[in-house]
Amino acid sequence: MNIFDKTWAWFTADGAWTGAGGIFQRVAEHLGYSALILLIAAVIAVPIGLMVGHTGRGENVVVAITGALRALPTLGLLTLFALWLGLGLVAPIAALVILAIAPLLAGVYSGIAAVDKVTVDAARAQGMTESQILRKVELPLALPLIFGGIRNAALQVIATVTVVAYINLGGLGRYLIDGLAVRDYPRMVAAVVLVALLALIVDALLALLQRALTPRGTR
Amino acid sequence: MKDTDVLDSPNAIEFKSVTKKYGDVVAVDNLNLSIPRGKITVFVGPSGCGKTTSLRMINRMVEHTSGEILVNGEPNTAQEPHKLRRSMGYVLQQAGLMPHRTIVDNIATVPRLNGTSAKSARTEALQLMETVGLDTSLAKRYPAQLSGGQAQRVGVARALASNSSILLMDEPFSAVDPVVRQDLQKELLRLQSELQRTIIFVTHDIDEAVLLGDYVAVFAVGGRLAQFGTPEEILREPADDFVASFVGRDRGMRRLTFAGASDVKIHPLTSQHTPWQQWELKVEDGKPAGWIIDGRTIPGGSLFVEGGTLRDALDSVLSSPSGVGVAVDRNGKVLGLLKSEDVLAATEAERHRRYGVNA
Ligand SMILES: Nc1ncnc2c1ncn2[C@@H]1O[C@H](COP(=O)(O)OP(=O)(O)O)[C@@H](O)[C@H]1O
Ligand SMILES: [Mg+2]
Repeated sequence: MNIFDKTWAWFTADGAWTGAGGIFQRVAEHLGYSALILLIAAVIAVPIGLMVGHTGRGENVVVAITGALRALPTLGLLTLFALWLGLGLVAPIAALVILAIAPLLAGVYSGIAAVDKVTVDAARAQGMTESQILRKVELPLALPLIFGGIRNAALQVIATVTVVAYINLGGLGRYLIDGLAVRDYPRMVAAVVLVALLALIVDALLALLQRALTPRGTR
Repeated sequence: MKDTDVLDSPNAIEFKSVTKKYGDVVAVDNLNLSIPRGKITVFVGPSGCGKTTSLRMINRMVEHTSGEILVNGEPNTAQEPHKLRRSMGYVLQQAGLMPHRTIVDNIATVPRLNGTSAKSARTEALQLMETVGLDTSLAKRYPAQLSGGQAQRVGVARALASNSSILLMDEPFSAVDPVVRQDLQKELLRLQSELQRTIIFVTHDIDEAVLLGDYVAVFAVGGRLAQFGTPEEILREPADDFVASFVGRDRGMRRLTFAGASDVKIHPLTSQHTPWQQWELKVEDGKPAGWIIDGRTIPGGSLFVEGGTLRDALDSVLSSPSGVGVAVDRNGKVLGLLKSEDVLAATEAERHRRYGVNA
């Protein structure tokens, strides 16, 4: 049997999908961590991106920070946080939140900043308040770029959240770590395939949501 | 200034010693100006002389550095900027429509901000589309689907919504081609004759200023108001060398815009194809269709429409291949011919009248 047949056998083995440690459970854990991380990152990045994009103040800081965040090695960050915060859920979540902030912040900031200044000026001159300009003009027009940031962040988080298995947490990373420990390569291949599929499916769903939310007239 | 009747009448907007500085740059220098209600006042001048800044200080899109601006007798700083802005329309050079909203929703913006229900705001918006000469079948389109001229009309309709009595227009027609611009200018004059709003119109084009303005404020480099008066006064008696050079070499021609051509004789056509020297006017369905010479047909010049100005009359003569102008009625039917000597005599008579000399 070659590795593909073996992997196929692993997928179709009794109890591979259901039950404790089954694929359904691991996928649910994986998605749960990812959603939590993206949510926390969004709570931090979206308001900052909106304010900086709208006022134009702090642009340089945002560009510098997103650049620096992107350069950070996730595994190093995770190790550092684990040493500092101990082996729990907090360390990997914090490390991955930092990873996700960069694309989210860049997407929101650049989306708002790219809205045509004439349109914004006209909206202000009609008598919109600053918050109305942000909500009714800038945000709808920035949606494509904002979604670009969300999709980037989601892809990165879903791919990288496998690392939490290093510190004895669940998710699809378990198959990688446990498989490596017992040299069960088909299990590791299965993990990679599952992570990739999950990322593609989530990205496709986000793309559909983006289509539904993007205003006609700007498509 | 001699316009005591203007100064005594209630003013919609008054600038009192208004100055705007950007750092060391003086954009507007101690502006004192009263803008009469229900009239079109044009701010004209070369680029960078503070027209836009002056306009935008009215609705506080730009805050003045010193002085006071009264809107309907109240300092414009008395209310919050967004409320002040909702009380006056604003039209920009690039229409500045919201690309994610339909035409009707763009026009309904200010009524919606003022709390009008979506339904009645749309009804109002549809009426305004008709007012500005837009087909209501465009209502559900998006701005990207409009021509430049149509977008500008939407901009005007949006500014008229909520019955704003003051309209601020910053070079609204300078980005469209000349033919469309002429249409929009005519349309604005027609609208104004019905609506009688207070319009402040910015342009760098003296011809546009003379055409549209009941009053014209000429701005000079450095943000200084060089002259304020009726177009005719400004062309007749420029206050200084700057204004004289700005109104330009065609001043004499522009003046003829204010003189009627009723003195100019219209010579009747005596046969269907009237011979005039060796030229023959070609007429089709009663309308002029060019000139015939040696069996060739040559396109005609500009037409003098009955009731036109002396400038129109002179242009019809100068632009005609035969040297003879063609007068038509409002439906474009030929009324007769204008001879250059008659037009020149009329300009002479106008000149005598202007200086009170009896010929
Ligand atoms: N936001 C700004 N910052 C600095 N200088 C400005 C600003 N806006 C206008 N100016 C300056 O003020 C002067 C008047 O500008 P503006 O009112 O736009 O002129 P106009 O509309 O007559 O062309 C110009 O010298 C211009 O460079
Ligand atoms: Mg300007």
